[in-house]
Amino acid sequence: MQRVIERILNLLAFLLTVGRPVTADEIRHTVAGYDQETDEAFRRTFERDKDLLRTLGVPLRMDFTDRWQVEQGYVVRPDEYALPDPGLTDDERTALWLASRMARLGGESASPSAIFKLGGAPAAASGDPLGAELGADAATLGSLFAAVVERRTIAFRYRDNDRTTAPLGLVHRMGHWYLVGGVGDETRTFRVDRISDLVVDEVKGAFIRPPGFRAADGFPEAPWEAGSEDVEAVVRFDASVAWWARRQLGSRAEMTEHRDGSLTARIRVASPEALIGWLIGFEDGAVLERPAHLRNRFIAHMGAGS
Amino acid sequence: MSSARTAERLARILAMVPWVIAHPGAQVDEVCRRFGYDRDDLVRDLNLVFVCGLPGYGPGDLMEAYLDDDEVVIDMADYFARPVKLTAVEALMMLAGGMAILSSGTADRALESAVAKLTAVLLPEEGIVDVDLGAEPGPVALLRAAAGAGDVVGIEYVAIASGETTVREIEPWRVFAALGNWYVTAHCRLAMGERIFRVDRIRSAAPTGDRFEPPQDRPPAGVRYVPGVDDTVVRISLDATARWVTDYYPVREIARDAAGTVVEFSASDPAVVARLLLRLGSAAQLLDGGDAAEVRSAIEDLRSRVLARYR
Repeated sequence: MQRVIERILNLLAFLLTVGRPVTADEIRHTVAGYDQETDEAFRRTFERDKDLLRTLGVPLRMDFTDRWQVEQGYVVRPDEYALPDPGLTDDERTALWLASRMARLGGESASPSAIFKLGGAPAAASGDPLGAELGADAATLGSLFAAVVERRTIAFRYRDNDRTTAPLGLVHRMGHWYLVGGVGDETRTFRVDRISDLVVDEVKGAFIRPPGFRAADGFPEAPWEAGSEDVEAVVRFDASVAWWARRQLGSRAEMTEHRDGSLTARIRVASPEALIGWLIGFEDGAVLERPAHLRNRFIAHMGAGS
Repeated sequence: MSSARTAERLARILAMVPWVIAHPGAQVDEVCRRFGYDRDDLVRDLNLVFVCGLPGYGPGDLMEAYLDDDEVVIDMADYFARPVKLTAVEALMMLAGGMAILSSGTADRALESAVAKLTAVLLPEEGIVDVDLGAEPGPVALLRAAAGAGDVVGIEYVAIASGETTVREIEPWRVFAALGNWYVTAHCRLAMGERIFRVDRIRSAAPTGDRFEPPQDRPPAGVRYVPGVDDTVVRISLDATARWVTDYYPVREIARDAAGTVVEFSASDPAVVARLLLRLGSAAQLLDGGDAAEVRSAIEDLRSRVLARYR
């Protein structure tokens, strides 16, 4: 391990200071540690070292060594390599470290490498009982995040269709990650855990986000807010379940409490199907009173299942 | 030699070196605490840095790195004056974790400013990444504090399956968000075992004044369902619009084709299955076998009770 680390430190020091693209051949003859006997042994060693550098986050790229564009060499530009200093205080580092340990992505939590890069934090074992499982696979989300930040077009498979989109933003809501993507002038939302065969294009800055774009704008806060209809539903909740309805509706509905403890809520609904599904959770403790067409839809739905 | 361990060691060196360069006079203890070193490991890494540098590799080309009593000295290493930028996964995990805990409404000021500073350097525009765990049902903060301090909490819990209200004393271990809901994992003194409760179904909660010893290793955040011998087990055929069920419920997939997916569904109570099937309507079909008969009668019971309200 010692030899590998020495060789990588030498390689990185060289690439960061040489100021021009350098070929593998030049590296072999200049940097300490590349004294492998055969070409094949050198090639294998060098490939492994490049992988290791990329794992660490070192932006290693290829560029032409001359203006006639005959030969390519390796470049690490200091400005692309260095983490801009966010100016964190120690309290902020600790808070961030603890938060990133509490939240998990698909069962994984943050590795210490991130907080080390940010200046380290006392390794207090998190005794905090708060946690969050954010779902979705960290590798896919990482690729999408990079594509969003660097404005690279992506292609993927989604519910048996091939899609190409400009990844505008990423949102976590109601327990799931969503990609907000632009297709022409339209914005579409894709659930990240249904995205497969993701390919990120190489060109950076391939699109421009609409001015003032915010990924969470217009994002539904409740399932029945995601849809294309617009109707106000009036629902009466019995006293026994009114507390639960109030808690889930929060400030998203206009509510009137009655003397007997029951509750009438006026709810703006974009997806009647989702509202009906939610209301069934209240069993016979809730009644969809108005409008008549929604009420009939509820009754028809109740008659249909299994 | 594992390349993962090599990467970890290199990552720590490439973070420690810039920090020491930026803090002349840094003390051994401080560096160790920050980067999780013990003194011997730190000395080993400094010795390694000491033999590396630029081509020529003579005294003027190598970095200087050593301990001077309790001071860590690194010199001639200006090219390593800044840490490597975060990888996409590292950046996302720090940002998303910070935003998630912030949105729980129980975080402190330091996290708020940390997330703002991190956003400023990691995102080209604000608002392109957004994490919200959802409106926090009442007792989350109380349960978090009780779990931290070891306070027993008395709760009034309305069971999801039966709608039945029970009063219990619980020893809360972990409070977490998953799948769009908040949960608390606890030792339940009524059930005399570990149970997971949905926080939004806890109608009221208050410390009893009793104490307990919080467990050394708290169970991880995540909903686990362990089927019991008395569970209701049925097979359900889901069409494409109902496929989301497989993401939210612990089902076992039996078959999948163009027409849909057949899953085995188990629940502690037939009422849970009945409610789900009525909710899915014609998008799902209960298949014969297993406890289908029991579930059918639960469906009929629920259907007639609900429809009675609409006559």
